[in-house]
Amino acid sequence: MTVLVLATDAYGGHGGIALFNRELVAALALNSEVVVVPRIVPHEPEPTPPGVTFVAEAARSRFAYSRAIARAALSRPALVICGHINLLPVACAIARHPVLMTFGIEAWKRRLAAGLNRLVHRCRAVISISALTRDRFGSWSGYRGPTYILPNPIHAERYGTRERRPDLVARYGLEGKRVLLTVGRLAGEERYKGFDEVLDVLGKFPPDVVYLIAGGGNDQSRLRQRADELGVADRVVFTGGFPEGEKADLYALADVYVMPSRGEGFGFVFLEAMASGVPVVGSKYDGGREALMYGKLGLLVDPANPAELRAAIAEQLERGTRRIPDELQYFSFEHFVARLTMVLSSIDDRSRAS
Amino acid sequence: MCGITAIFAYHSSADPVRREELEKITERMRPRGPDAVGTWISPDRRVALGSRRLAIIDLSDDGTQPMFDVEGELAIVFNGEIYNYPELRASLERGGVHFHSHTDTEVLLQLYRRDGEDMLGLLRGMYAFVVWDARRRRMFVARDPYGIKPLYFADDGSVVRFASGVKPLLAGGVVSPARDPAGVAGFFLTGSVPEPFTICRDVRAVEAGTSFHVEDERGRGEVRRHYSVAEVFRQADRQRVFAGLMKPEIFLRERVEESVEHHLVADVPVGLFLSAGIDSSALATIASRVSRRPVHTFTLAFHEFQGTEDDEALLAERLAREIAAPHTTRLVTRDEFHADLPRIFESMDQPTIDGVNTWFVSKAVHEAGMKVAISGLGGDELFGSYPSFRKVPRMVHLARLPGAARAARMVSHHPKAAFVGRFGRTYGGAYLLQRGLFFPDELPAIIGADTAREGLERLQILDLIDSAITPDPGTEFGRMATLESSLYMRNQLLRDADWASMAHSVEVRTPLVDAALLRQICPLLLERGSECKGALAAMLPPWVRGRRKSGFFVPMREWTGLPADATTTRMRGWAKSVFEYCDMGRFGTVAR
Repeated sequence: MTVLVLATDAYGGHGGIALFNRELVAALALNSEVVVVPRIVPHEPEPTPPGVTFVAEAARSRFAYSRAIARAALSRPALVICGHINLLPVACAIARHPVLMTFGIEAWKRRLAAGLNRLVHRCRAVISISALTRDRFGSWSGYRGPTYILPNPIHAERYGTRERRPDLVARYGLEGKRVLLTVGRLAGEERYKGFDEVLDVLGKFPPDVVYLIAGGGNDQSRLRQRADELGVADRVVFTGGFPEGEKADLYALADVYVMPSRGEGFGFVFLEAMASGVPVVGSKYDGGREALMYGKLGLLVDPANPAELRAAIAEQLERGTRRIPDELQYFSFEHFVARLTMVLSSIDDRSRAS
Repeated sequence: MCGITAIFAYHSSADPVRREELEKITERMRPRGPDAVGTWISPDRRVALGSRRLAIIDLSDDGTQPMFDVEGELAIVFNGEIYNYPELRASLERGGVHFHSHTDTEVLLQLYRRDGEDMLGLLRGMYAFVVWDARRRRMFVARDPYGIKPLYFADDGSVVRFASGVKPLLAGGVVSPARDPAGVAGFFLTGSVPEPFTICRDVRAVEAGTSFHVEDERGRGEVRRHYSVAEVFRQADRQRVFAGLMKPEIFLRERVEESVEHHLVADVPVGLFLSAGIDSSALATIASRVSRRPVHTFTLAFHEFQGTEDDEALLAERLAREIAAPHTTRLVTRDEFHADLPRIFESMDQPTIDGVNTWFVSKAVHEAGMKVAISGLGGDELFGSYPSFRKVPRMVHLARLPGAARAARMVSHHPKAAFVGRFGRTYGGAYLLQRGLFFPDELPAIIGADTAREGLERLQILDLIDSAITPDPGTEFGRMATLESSLYMRNQLLRDADWASMAHSVEVRTPLVDAALLRQICPLLLERGSECKGALAAMLPPWVRGRRKSGFFVPMREWTGLPADATTTRMRGWAKSVFEYCDMGRFGTVAR
């Protein structure tokens, strides 16, 4: 059978949604032909797995996108997975009952376009990467169809504990330092990753504790200024955008991964940090708590409470040792495939029954 | 929940602590803690601790206070509940701490050992406690962010005494019951005695959201503020961007649900005060969903309100049925009110014009054999439902216009109209006008010229109000929410809830008065203001949503024969009656 995936981005994309889509496509391709029509392809696409057709040219223009969609529709896919709520009109034009993927804040509140909100009810199922996103989506949409949770997978074998790369230590001035790390886009319009909150408590730690912020975005100058106002500018290092292929080396620099966020749908970066053996501190109030298995794999804090954040970071710094938690296996790619298979089978059964 | 006592003869010139005094103070708090009593005096007789315990978490004798650590270096007396104690305990255990009980008290003790005064930022709950640190020969004293749990002290320069009430401190027989003109003036100006003043000259309140040490020889150290509502609002201004992340209804519901869940932590059944208002109805609905045990609801009914809009009984019963909550409607009569009045005054720790409603609903909870109840107190301050949120900012704007004072006098015969010109131009003044009972010029006629002059001079009521909104919370909503929760709610509502419930050995818990909740939803409050109440109401049936504001009204006018005119004037009469009863002669007698 052929599965059509309508994605904002997948191959050639850098964000969490792109990453999830690549994993989803790889898992689908084990049993099906998969056609992926992306809206954007920001970078050179990675090689696709066998059985996957990635229609990169769809991202060139609106016309090219429409043409790609029309062609995909003609192939009469057995299943259409809509990879973003904003693409629902396109998905519904192709399939009467698509399956919708929901990730994070894009699905946490009613969309401005009323028609879009109505289309939600045409979906034969909604798959969310976390229970939090599922619940928040459900509470505004009133969606009553089947819902499934499919958390991000992690290929832990690509990470592991490793020595700090001397060139990176030298580049960022980390010799003899204990490093707090956050990886994420520095988006001035969102600011939900918790960079500000970590800066607020940084001054409470001894001078050998520094904060490494890895990610590009338009909020860097504001954060730099804030660090300056707080008197910790010399202890904050911005790496800018970091090559995807070197992320394992980035995590190897960290003593604690900390992200007291408010807007994460799941927080794949936590899995990466844990797969690198780095102790983590996450948020009680967004999807990060599910990546941390509600506190089993790391410490959860109220992002609004500096005392709690400080105590959690201190506790993880104290821990000192790197250990990859056994429970991380829960998020393995094999388990992801098994979950996806169960989800698709359940959707199929329900469709036949109705 | 308990009553606690601590005495420290910190100066070498002081006499050793007397056991008789310790026991008298502690015994005066018996209703606060009928389940157990404990006292301890240090071998050198410089330090004494006492506790009356109302057992709610870990009902075994392991929870007996004063509680000591294994090393015998730290001792604690604690009144309140720490709702996040399981996670704090887990954190301590990861650090190698071994516990000997399942109480939150022991968590406090170990947290103090680990973090010292920094521990306060980690606590979610209501508390007033004293730790005796024998290693450093000093006491650590702390009170919760909002001042839900009371703590008072008297420091004569060589001995400092702490207790959970003013009357218990007097009961020791050493602290003078002489009235404080500032406390008296404060009572007539606002309807309750404003912190840190008390009705007694030698007794002060440990201020809400503060802590301090008492050192050997040196006495009380610098007061450190660990929480400020004004500061939370100021900080939240830069976090407004989060308010748009999701639908307010969803976010608020999640956060309030979480607060309710925390406030249900107990080893005994938890009840709930249910009026037919939005706050208590929402809490009841949430509690019925998240509690593992049925949450018993309680409502008051009065013959005087039958068939009127003020009758809350029928609607509360209907809601209780819908959420499948066991429910009690407690009828209170005029005769019962008059029969209880002497006990009400005896239990009233300081003069106040409110608290009768909590007295009776707590009595109902006690009669049902329960000792914990959740209350919707604080919802109006949190969500901006009081008229003051509109009126005070408007008054500040209008009073600054030329001729505003004369215009106010001409168009209104209300006693407050005459003061618009003098007070209305600042938030502090306008707030006093809005909430005030009497005005400074009226006090000499009520309490005498000398008491009024001295009281007003020491009280500096406008400075006191202004200090609540320092630093400036930054927005109109923030200023009003800060004023209401730091003054009216703290000095009146929370204090009344404390004495009136403790008199029946009932602990009142207030999920909407929660420092963590405020920190989390503050950006949303600044963005949406009083619309947030609507977001909370969205979970309720329309017949609750559409009802006008209510909340355990008591037919005081009918029972006391006070005039049927505007509320302010009526409460003036009640204030005089209360003060007459609580005047210093009787106050001292009752205290003992």
